[in-house]
Amino acid sequence: MPLERLYDLVHDPGNASAKVAEAPNSAEEALRDSEEKYRMLLDEIQDYAIFMLDPQGVVVSWNAGAERIKGYQADEIVGHNFSVFFPPEDIKQGMPEELLRITATNGRHEFQGMRVRKDGSRFLASIIFIALRDLAGNLRGFSEISRDLSESKESAAKYRGLLEAAPDAMVVVNQGGEIVLLNVQAEKQFGYRRDELIGQKVKNIIPQGFAERLIADGTRTAAEALAQQIGTGIELNGHRKDGSEFPIEIMLSPLESTEGILVTAAIRDISVRKAVEKHLGQMEGRYRGLLEAAPDAMVVVNEGGDIVLLNVQAEKQFGYHRDELVGQKVKNIIPQGFAERLIADGTRTAAEALAQQIGTGIELNGLRKDGSEFPIEIMLSPLESTEGILVTAAIRDITTRKKTDAHVLELNRSNEELGQFAYVASHDLQEPLRMVASFTELLARRYKGKLDSDADEFISFAVDGARRMQRLIQDLLAYSRVATKGNDLLRTSSEEALRRALMNLRGAIEESSALLTHDPLPTVMADERQLIQVFQNLIGNAIKYQNPGVPRIHISAARNADKKWTFSVKDNGLGIDPQYFEKIFVIFQRLHKRDEFSGTGIGLAICKRIVERHGGTISVESQLGHGSTFTFDLAGSEGKS
Amino acid sequence: MNHIEVESSHLDILLVEDSPGDVRLTKEVFRDTNIDIHLHVASDGVEAMAFLRREGEHVSAPRPDLILLDLNLPKMDGRVVLANIKADANLKSIPTVILTTSESEVDIARSYRLQANCYLSKPVQLEAFENLVKSINDFWLTKVKLPQQRQGG
Repeated sequence: MPLERLYDLVHDPGNASAKVAEAPNSAEEALRDSEEKYRMLLDEIQDYAIFMLDPQGVVVSWNAGAERIKGYQADEIVGHNFSVFFPPEDIKQGMPEELLRITATNGRHEFQGMRVRKDGSRFLASIIFIALRDLAGNLRGFSEISRDLSESKESAAKYRGLLEAAPDAMVVVNQGGEIVLLNVQAEKQFGYRRDELIGQKVKNIIPQGFAERLIADGTRTAAEALAQQIGTGIELNGHRKDGSEFPIEIMLSPLESTEGILVTAAIRDISVRKAVEKHLGQMEGRYRGLLEAAPDAMVVVNEGGDIVLLNVQAEKQFGYHRDELVGQKVKNIIPQGFAERLIADGTRTAAEALAQQIGTGIELNGLRKDGSEFPIEIMLSPLESTEGILVTAAIRDITTRKKTDAHVLELNRSNEELGQFAYVASHDLQEPLRMVASFTELLARRYKGKLDSDADEFISFAVDGARRMQRLIQDLLAYSRVATKGNDLLRTSSEEALRRALMNLRGAIEESSALLTHDPLPTVMADERQLIQVFQNLIGNAIKYQNPGVPRIHISAARNADKKWTFSVKDNGLGIDPQYFEKIFVIFQRLHKRDEFSGTGIGLAICKRIVERHGGTISVESQLGHGSTFTFDLAGSEGKS
Repeated sequence: MNHIEVESSHLDILLVEDSPGDVRLTKEVFRDTNIDIHLHVASDGVEAMAFLRREGEHVSAPRPDLILLDLNLPKMDGRVVLANIKADANLKSIPTVILTTSESEVDIARSYRLQANCYLSKPVQLEAFENLVKSINDFWLTKVKLPQQRQGG
C-alpha cells in the first residue's frame, strides 16, 4: 500500500474507510471510535510501522509493522517516549522534541532519518509525522507512519543482493550525505560494522570530495552535478574506523528512488595500485637517474625507431635539445645501421635480432644537428616495457679513439719503417765501408815503413776507425735483425740453447778458465737462435767483465707468479753501479773505456730487444765489486726439459 | 777489358763484377794468392755473356776455367747470366761460383736451383776475404779436376 493512501487513511478516516458507518456523538467520542475501528485495520499492516503518540510523544498505540520493524512488543513500548527510536546523538540535539514541534506547527512532516531498533541496530527510515487535532483544533497527539527504507521494496532486496555481490565496497548515500545502505566489502574496507555506518554522514568515511559532489550548487541540480561524475573514477582518500587513511577510487551513479535521488558509490581500495604506481615511478626515476649518470650518450628507442627517452649526454653529443629529439626517428641522428637492426626480418624476431647485438660494439656514424658527422660505437640492450620492447642504445663518441687508433697505426708503421731503414742503411753502408776498410788495410800492409812515420800513423787511425765502424754497423744490423729477421716462437729447450751458446763461447771460456754451472732448464716458447744469442751475450759479458781470478757463472730458472720462467745469469765479476742499471740496456751505451774493454755497447740492447720480443722483461741486480745477476723471463711451455 | 793470350800453364777466371773497388780488391788478393791466374773482368751481365760467347770485341776471349759471378749487376742481372750459362750446352760445364754480398736465403736457394756450383758470401773483413780467395784457389783451381775442353784461340 502506497504511503499516500495510508496518510489519507489516518488523516481523513471518514473518507478513507466508508465502510465505517456509525457517526460519532462528539469529537472526542468520534476520535476514540475511529481509533478503535482503524486500529484493527492498521494493526494488521506488516510493511509499515504505524503508531500514535500523545502530545508529549509517549507511544499510545503500536501495530504489527512497528513491532516487526522496530523489534518492540506493544506492551514493551506503549507508555514510553518515542525518543527511544532515535540515535543518542539526535536525542542530544533535541531532535524528537523538535520533530513534534514542527509537526504541530505544520500539521505534517515528512522526512528520512535514522531509527534505532530495540536491539540497538539502526536503519534508515522514511517517516511521515501527522499532527492529530480534534474538531476544535486542539492537539490530541501524533501519528507516525514509517518504513524501513533498506527493505522497503522487493526490488530493494534484489538491489541489496547485487550490492553484496559487487567486488568493490558499495555505499548508497542520500542527498543529505547520509549513508543509507552499504555492503560487506564496505564494512571490511572501512573497518565499521554496518549499523555503525547506516545513517552516518558519508564524510566520516570519505572526508573530502564526495559529499561536496552531492550538493547542488546555484547553477545546477544535484542530478546534473552527478551526471557529470558518472562513469569517471574519482581518486579520494578513505578514512577507516581506526583513523588510518587509504587511497580509494570511487565511481558514482545516481539512483532515482521514491526518496529522491540516491547515489550509489562503488569504492575501490587502490592502495596496491598506488603502491605499484609509486614503485614504477621510482623505478622510472631510478632508470632515468641511471640514464643521466651514464658517461655515454643514452638513447631509448621503440621498435618503430622513434626516440622515447634520452639523456643529457645525448643532447650534448648530437647538439639537439631534448624536446627536439623525443618522438623523432633515430635515423635523424644515426642515419645508418641502427634502425635497420630494430626491424625483424622474416626469420627472426626483433628480440632475437637484438639479442645477437647485445654487448657487441657496433661502429657507426652519428649525425649532429649542425650536419657534421662523427664516429660512434653503440651498444644495444633490449628493455621489456608495457609499450613493447624498447632498445637502450649506449652511444660513445669514438672520435678520439679513432684518432688514437690512427695515430698508433701510424706510429707502428713509422716504427717499422725506421727499423727497415736502419737495416737497409746499415746494410748499404757496409759496402762502401768494406772498400774503405779493405784498401786502408792493404795500404797499411804494403806501405808500412815505405812512407814517413806520419803516414804510418794516419793510416793506422784510418784502419782502426774503419774497423770500428764495421763492427758498429754489424751490431746495428744484428739489432735490426731481432725484429726484422726473427723466427716464430716455438717449443725450445732452453738447456739446448745454453749448450749451443757455450759452444760458441768455447774460446773465451777456455781462455778465462771460467767455471760454468747451471740448474736443469725448462722448455720455453722461444726463437731458438735468439735465445742462444741472449745466453751468449750475457755469459760473454760475465766472462769479459771480470776481476782477476776465476770467473764463476751460474745459470738457473724458476717459475714465477705469472707462470713464466725467470732465468738468471749470476756472476762474480766487476758488478755494476745501480745508477747504470737502465743505461746498460740502451744501444751503444758503454760503461768502460775502449782501452779497458772492447765492444760497441750492443750486446745488452740486443738481449733486451729479444726478451721484449718474447713478451718478457730483462733486468739486473748488482753491487759494484760483488758480481751481477741478470734476470729475464720467458713464457713457458708445459713441463721441464 | 784486357785479356791476355793464353798459355797452357795458367788458369783463366772470369770475374763478373760491376764495382771497380771489388774488381781491384779481388785482383790484388788473387795476385797475392796465385800468380798463375789470369783474371778477366766483365762489369755487367751483357758483357759477361759476350765474353763467354766470344762476341764482338771478345772474339778471341779464352774459355774460362772458373766464373766468379756477382748477383747484382747492371744491364743483365747475375741470376739471368747464371740461367743463360746453365742453359747453354757449351758453357754449362764451366764451374760457376756465386760471389756476392747478399746473404739472402732466397738468393742462395735460387742460385742453387739455377745450378750454381757453389754460393759464397763476400766477407766484410779483408783478412776473411783473403782466406776465402785462398779457399777458392785451393779447391776450385787446385784440387778440383776440371774438364779439359779448352778451345781458347
